Amino acid sequence: MDQQASTKSGKAITTKTMFSRETSVSTTILADSAIVWALLTHASDFPRWNSTVTSLKGEIRQGGTIELKSTLDEKRTFKLKIKEFVPEKRLVWGDAQGSRVYSIDKGPGDGVLFRMTEKIGGPLFPLFAGYIPPFDESFERFAADLKKEAESIQSSKS
Amino acid sequence: MTDNELTTQFITLQGELKSFLLRMTASVPDAEDILQDTYIKAQAKLDTFRGESSLKTWIFSIASNLARDLLRSKKRWPESVTDICREESLGNRQFFQEAMHIRETSPQGKFEIKEHIAFCFTCVSKSLPLEQHLALLLKEVYGFKVTEIATILDQTDAMVKYYLHVSRSRMIEIFDHRCSLINKQGICYQCTELNGIFNPKQKAQEELAKIEMARDAENKSKEQLFDLRMKILQELDPFESGAAELQLHHLEQNRQVMEKYLEEKG
Repeated sequence: MDQQASTKSGKAITTKTMFSRETSVSTTILADSAIVWALLTHASDFPRWNSTVTSLKGEIRQGGTIELKSTLDEKRTFKLKIKEFVPEKRLVWGDAQGSRVYSIDKGPGDGVLFRMTEKIGGPLFPLFAGYIPPFDESFERFAADLKKEAESIQSSKS
Repeated sequence: MTDNELTTQFITLQGELKSFLLRMTASVPDAEDILQDTYIKAQAKLDTFRGESSLKTWIFSIASNLARDLLRSKKRWPESVTDICREESLGNRQFFQEAMHIRETSPQGKFEIKEHIAFCFTCVSKSLPLEQHLALLLKEVYGFKVTEIATILDQTDAMVKYYLHVSRSRMIEIFDHRCSLINKQGICYQCTELNGIFNPKQKAQEELAKIEMARDAENKSKEQLFDLRMKILQELDPFESGAAELQLHHLEQNRQVMEKYLEEKG
């Protein structure tokens, strides 16, 4: 079974090597890609719907920078750059240590397949690997929150 | 459609349009200017109206674009607008003297808590991002459908649904935190405070009992309370109500305070 297929249900999977770690989650969302994209790109709105984000400042646009505080490590502020911004398809943000990739693809029926992957690593990775908490639970919550919020908006009254 | 038909239909729409523009701009002169410009533009572009949407949707599109042009360069108000304006107004003797004069002499000068609730929403909703503010008013107060709002704002239905969801959630959260009429822990009680100033012999509790949103606050969900707040706005014309002159005077005071406040903040 390939990794993408195995994680469609919203279960995160992590693969480790000596010099890197990659966590990934995928889920089918029964909503328009524009809604999923709007949720992923309105920075200040994140804490309202996403239980893994406590604060997100800045602008999510090509070349923009953001400051993220997450429940993974509430004392730390991650300063991240928007590396790729392809509306309703692909968003990448990250820093020197790693990148998080969000992708939205056509899914089954009227839905979309949302996938989120974060790879961290480099030559010094073995030195700090032990201090980085596992992402699996946070990724699963992120995907579940996104699915719930997007589907709730999709089904709102017209 | 002929010019005369447009004029006739514009006249039937103008009350609703003017109140929408006031609630967007919080300024009587701006609302009146945009109303006039909307008519001029509609007349000039009448040959482009193909009837793909209703005339009402088409006219609201023109008006919304003009409002956007005006407001895009202006800063949004903070959600604590009523606190900031209260502090400024308390020390402004001239404001209260003028307000009392209106209260005593104008047929549209009575103070009603219900009217202040609508006034309060006009001020606080200016803290929403511009597109969300437009979408929320069009849907919740003026009854447009999502597809019509998408036409008016030149957005997709999906994006309009997002704007509506977020703006509604935000307003519910702000009022739940602030409004003492719906939450005993609410930090703002300005409407009852002003009622005490303008109607000293009236019992606030008796007045509140007449307002469904306040009377049933403990038995209704936050969503239902927001719908009741919107119902108050739907039923009130801010230019024609019994408190119009008093509330518009107050709104102008708040607008001036906000302009100064935002300028000072840079």
